[in-house]
Amino acid sequence: MKKNVLFKAFSLLVILSFALAACGAPATVATEAPAAEESAATEAPAVEAPAATEAPMMEEVAIRWRTRPDNQEEIDVYSNISTELDAELNGVTLTYEPGGTEGANYQDQLRSEVAAGTAPDVFWIPGTDVADFATRGLILNMNDMATATDGFSVEDFYAGPMGHLTFNPDTATFGADSGALWGLPRDVSTFALYLNMDLINEAGAPDPRELAKEGKWDWDAFLDVAQKTRALGADVYGYGASAWWGPYGVWLNAANGGFFNADRTACALNTPESLAGLDFQRSLYQDFDVATPYGEDPEPTFRAGKVAMFQNGRWATPGVRTVEFEWDVVELPAGPSGTAGNWLFWGAYVVNAKTEHPEEAWALVQALTTAQTQGKVAALGANIPSRVSQEALDAFLTFTPPANNQAFLNGIAADANPTAEGPLWAGSWPEYDQIMGPAIQGVLTGATTVEDFGATICDSADKVFVK
Amino acid sequence: MSEHQKPDTLTNLILRIAMIWRGVFTVVAAAGVITVWSGRLPEVPLWQKILLSLVLSIAAGFSAFGAVEIARRNHRGRMISLVIDYLAFVACAVMTLNIGEVFIGIDALAETFGRGIPYLGIVLAGYLLSSMDEYSVRKQTSEQSLKQVGRWVMIFGFILFLWQVDTINGVLYFLGKLAQPAGLISVAGMLIFGAALWTVWRQPSAAAMHVKTNHEQVISGWLFLSPNLIGFLIFFAGPLLLSFYFSFTDSDAFNTPNWIGLDNYAKILNIKFVTLSSPTQLAKEVVDIKIYDEVGRMMFGSWGILFAAADKFFWLALRNTLTFVLFAVPFSVVPALILSNVLNSKLPGMKFYRAIYFMPSIAAVVGISLVWQWLYNATIGYINYFITLGIEFWNNLFNLAIVDPKIQWVSDEKTALFAVILIAAWQTMGFNTVLFLAGLQNIPGELYEAATVDGAGAWDKFWGITLPLLAPTTFYVVSTTTIQAMQVFEQVFILMNPPEGPNNSTITLVLYLYRSGFQNFKQGYASAIAWVLFIVIFGLTLIQFQRQRQSSIYES
Repeated sequence: MKKNVLFKAFSLLVILSFALAACGAPATVATEAPAAEESAATEAPAVEAPAATEAPMMEEVAIRWRTRPDNQEEIDVYSNISTELDAELNGVTLTYEPGGTEGANYQDQLRSEVAAGTAPDVFWIPGTDVADFATRGLILNMNDMATATDGFSVEDFYAGPMGHLTFNPDTATFGADSGALWGLPRDVSTFALYLNMDLINEAGAPDPRELAKEGKWDWDAFLDVAQKTRALGADVYGYGASAWWGPYGVWLNAANGGFFNADRTACALNTPESLAGLDFQRSLYQDFDVATPYGEDPEPTFRAGKVAMFQNGRWATPGVRTVEFEWDVVELPAGPSGTAGNWLFWGAYVVNAKTEHPEEAWALVQALTTAQTQGKVAALGANIPSRVSQEALDAFLTFTPPANNQAFLNGIAADANPTAEGPLWAGSWPEYDQIMGPAIQGVLTGATTVEDFGATICDSADKVFVK
Repeated sequence: MSEHQKPDTLTNLILRIAMIWRGVFTVVAAAGVITVWSGRLPEVPLWQKILLSLVLSIAAGFSAFGAVEIARRNHRGRMISLVIDYLAFVACAVMTLNIGEVFIGIDALAETFGRGIPYLGIVLAGYLLSSMDEYSVRKQTSEQSLKQVGRWVMIFGFILFLWQVDTINGVLYFLGKLAQPAGLISVAGMLIFGAALWTVWRQPSAAAMHVKTNHEQVISGWLFLSPNLIGFLIFFAGPLLLSFYFSFTDSDAFNTPNWIGLDNYAKILNIKFVTLSSPTQLAKEVVDIKIYDEVGRMMFGSWGILFAAADKFFWLALRNTLTFVLFAVPFSVVPALILSNVLNSKLPGMKFYRAIYFMPSIAAVVGISLVWQWLYNATIGYINYFITLGIEFWNNLFNLAIVDPKIQWVSDEKTALFAVILIAAWQTMGFNTVLFLAGLQNIPGELYEAATVDGAGAWDKFWGITLPLLAPTTFYVVSTTTIQAMQVFEQVFILMNPPEGPNNSTITLVLYLYRSGFQNFKQGYASAIAWVLFIVIFGLTLIQFQRQRQSSIYES
């Protein structure tokens, strides 16, 4: 009987200890923060972080922020940045949350938290999501705070993303005077072709980098290299790309076509230019058989040394750095439009509309997008700073390999006329993508003809636009 | 309990207080209903107002009835008081923990608790030490000293644990959070409802209200059931009803939803069949393309029938889901039935094989799908690699010219759904095998012995004994596998890129539901899809039940 009591008491202790441990957690954060502040204050380089408030004796406000990291290295970099900015920003205690787990992807988790009212004060969203968040009143229009901030200018960032981030749906205008600012871009990225130089040399194909320098890197030259490398063996492919809107979109753009009409209010997938671009891409898969099957992940095949040209963004660089063959990058080939039709990918830091501390959150958004902060993230090699700054671009060129980093900068240069990834203010981008993706996959896998695609696609796709 | 003694003065006083409390509770709950509709809660959505009013009205009604019954010294009054006060006490306790941010703290529990785990080991060591007294030879003194030492070790270990998990700060933080109006109200609520519970729970009160043993047993039963029941109501039944309500709204999960009646269901079910005069005739020539999309067409020579729908994705998803069920269920049930008969034999090593076949069922679907993604890879996947090896072998051996098909398992619309079916069947087969094995163990061995004596062969025994007597198990396996297959999601979501597959060949109902709710911001529409899916599953299960009842095999 006594032993039973002792056992019960022990069980109770364990349960109690769980509760006490749970209680201990918030306090731990609170007590650890000053220590982090001290170390950051002594070790961090001088970061030009904007001051959240002029009054240093003001009570500390807690700001939670989140961005989607791709790996543990990025989590570490963002955690360090958070610690450093915590020391820089007066009156603010920062908590960085990586977001996304094995069981819930970043966007699902974020949207659930936004719906539940527990989302962080500042968070990152992809460029395509900005309209959905803004029109539903989920993110703050920071225009008034930006206007009152000395030295801030939307022109310090790439024009493409800022066009979308300053779009005012009420007036259908964009730019510094539009009266809207939904966020600031965390970074930018673009496509390049990752080259397996061993395969290209073995096939005796011309070096795409040299062709690009000579201005001869166009679709014909690309197809020539792809065919020569494909001839190396049944299991060797000239070209590989993943199955999402980014890779197939560039072929449409390069042919002077695109997903939407000029003001992004209607489908343009059925224009002759768009269909010509799609037909060329289809021919890579169906007629010339130079590409890894569409819908199959080409990255493992490329890493296995079986793909000569692998189309991917800057974010693939850290992974490619571990391959054992000689590799480099080259810009995408120019299409009939004279340009490669590349994308300018971006995502933005935005402020939760329900934040209790908008001023501090705005200060954090600025601090997270300074050249110095972006330089630290870009040093990992996965992305490009979103500020148009020669200093940032010069620094980016030093983040090698690849040796030809310039290829990425050429992709986002103004004369390359990249198309900025963006939301659909006049419709639903996720629904558009849901209609477009499987239909294009049908064309590229040979199940649907380009003509049939062109005859029907916009009938469905136009329905996602607000009438 | 059954003896009715005259209640003492104190008990009478306490019951009078309990009765007054019930009256006060009634008034407060009724005032709550009035407040809800007084316009002081403009931010609260309509459905929440209705729900809140409903709960408060029911509570007020029962409380008023309870007050009358307590006055009559009827046991029903006690029962009502216990239920209301218990639920209110639990609500206040949850609120207190929430305000104290214990639930947020639980997120960091692993890290915090992890620091203290070694010290809990000391507590456990102390417990074991004090438990060793019974093994002591010199009973008296050793028992005392071991217990003493064990006790002190436990105390020491627990103090160290508390120190490691930063308990003092934690408790101070918790109390600090409670020191605000909402926190104080919830703590006060706990105390008030706790005291109210005590007033009617105590033995003299029960006796005064003529409570019998069976009444006590009923209360105990509900009390033991309550943790599960409350959890069910809050986390399952509640969301279920809520999704039913949302299915009649345009909810996007963020803003106050608008009631749109049956619009969501109307859109799902808005379909049209029209005649085509030629195989190449476009859908826009025969239907209003601003409303309908082509789902499919069936041609009969030069003419045909076009199937169009306002939401083509739903119908494509339904088609794919039913196709998936049609193949995945037999593929996971029939092999499981055969396998279970093999594994039911008494050959050596069968336990090992049982474990091997069960392993896919306990592995994470995400992990399995990723592994299969590699296997299916058309360029460097092992499946195609072995097919190529096999074809080369036969071509070389017999000088044949068999062409390597280089199957694009997940990127060809003709094979994509089959690839998913294969994974699902492989994964479910192990679990079904175990169920069949359990069923086989229940078949009396005498029947087989008798059949053997009668000269029956293995097939006769399987067909004449095993299959009929396994009918209840087979029914259960087929029903659960069908329900599970109708909800296929993870395999498609992980394996396919994009998940819908080429030409939407792998879009399924749950995948479409997820897309609509979480990516297209259409929670209301997604809820309607969920309810249609529920009706489809319910219908299929109902058919299975009816067929099972009609089955003469089972009856015999």
